[in-house]
Amino acid sequence: MSVCALNEKQFFSCCQLLLQQSEHLRDGWSWEAVQVRRPLNLNVDEQPGPVVATRLHSDGITGDGGDEDDAVCVMSEGSSHVLQYEYHILYSCSYSQLPVGRSVMLEDVWSSVHPNFRRCLQNSPLTAITQQEHPLLGQPFFMLHPCRTEEFLRPVLQEEQPR
Amino acid sequence: MADDKDVLRDVWFGRIPTCFTLNQDEVTEREAEAYYLLLPRVSYLTLVTDKVKKHFLKVMRAEDVEEMWFEYEGTPLKWHYPIGVLFDLHASNSVLPWSISVHFKNFPDRDLLHCPSSSVIEAHFMSSIKEADALKHKSQVVNDMQKKDHKQLWMGLQNDKFDQFWAMNRKLMEYPTEEGGFRYIPFRIYQAMSDRPFIQKLFRPVSPEGNAYTLGDLLKEMYPAAITNDGEQKRYQVVIHGIEPLLETPLQWLSEHLSHPDNFLHICVVPTPSD
Repeated sequence: MSVCALNEKQFFSCCQLLLQQSEHLRDGWSWEAVQVRRPLNLNVDEQPGPVVATRLHSDGITGDGGDEDDAVCVMSEGSSHVLQYEYHILYSCSYSQLPVGRSVMLEDVWSSVHPNFRRCLQNSPLTAITQQEHPLLGQPFFMLHPCRTEEFLRPVLQEEQPR
Repeated sequence: MADDKDVLRDVWFGRIPTCFTLNQDEVTEREAEAYYLLLPRVSYLTLVTDKVKKHFLKVMRAEDVEEMWFEYEGTPLKWHYPIGVLFDLHASNSVLPWSISVHFKNFPDRDLLHCPSSSVIEAHFMSSIKEADALKHKSQVVNDMQKKDHKQLWMGLQNDKFDQFWAMNRKLMEYPTEEGGFRYIPFRIYQAMSDRPFIQKLFRPVSPEGNAYTLGDLLKEMYPAAITNDGEQKRYQVVIHGIEPLLETPLQWLSEHLSHPDNFLHICVVPTPSD
């Protein structure tokens, strides 16, 4: 099995590539350094704070077109729904080490997913979705499982791997 | 060492006397009595509270019952944290029994994960074990185990079977002698007054020169304010399984003996009580 491993530097450059693409496509990815509020009376954490790439996406029937005013869409005749999806890509240092033997994935893809969409993903053979606590924000998010993420992302990553 | 094995047992069998009362906003057909239970420190709330649910359901109508959730002094309790961690973090310096409020309505989904079945708890538990082994052994040990071995770890926890659990878990606690310890120590540091759920970073148990790092070394790196300097008044307690281990304790030893069944060392930093 091939190794799909990114160290932090590689993760960062992949995100930069993603952001460049996103700017061309105008589909709204942004890079946010999460401000973790330090508790009172604590020394400053000198290590740079963890960063997350986020995208706010509203669902609608027409997902294409690059129209930037996609904030509100009408879902179907007779009813208007606004669904907001927030996707976070985070770097997990637990899985970032070069593995021996079976590969381990190292990107956690976080998303807050509408239950209908979630069901679609659960039926998909390449994804295992569970609800987990966001490691920085503390709120419940849905997470794509690392062991499955590799299958899902390998074709994408192989393009990026320097050989 | 015989003493060290005793520590494993003491950790496993730690209990917290708890009093469950129904939240007063819940609709009941008659008065609900409090329910008392000894909660295992190393388990999870939703795994060990079937009896609590049964007890309160006796006085409620089905239509008033949704997913059960727990709260302590206004704080929703995260079932996916080990019970002992929840107690040490929120209630360590209060009078026993621990008083928990039971809710069946208004599930706070901004704060709590849903727990529709025990397989969700199992998945979460196994996920922690796998992550811990990724840190300790680059996942080699856990990946070499068979599915039935994984199942044995879970069943051991679920059924409170120390021997069954440790027959398998001891493999996860081994390391090559020449290394002196695990690759990285799986730990999480919790603070009561923080937005961030916990601190978890890479930390080796042994220095490049071969010296064993201590709990104090870990804290100096991850949470310096938890350490009291000479002459200062002690502001924080560093609590693991309800006790304050000496800061000189080797981290590797703590990881092998005071980890939870999920193989993580859960460390709570709480303000020293002001009497």
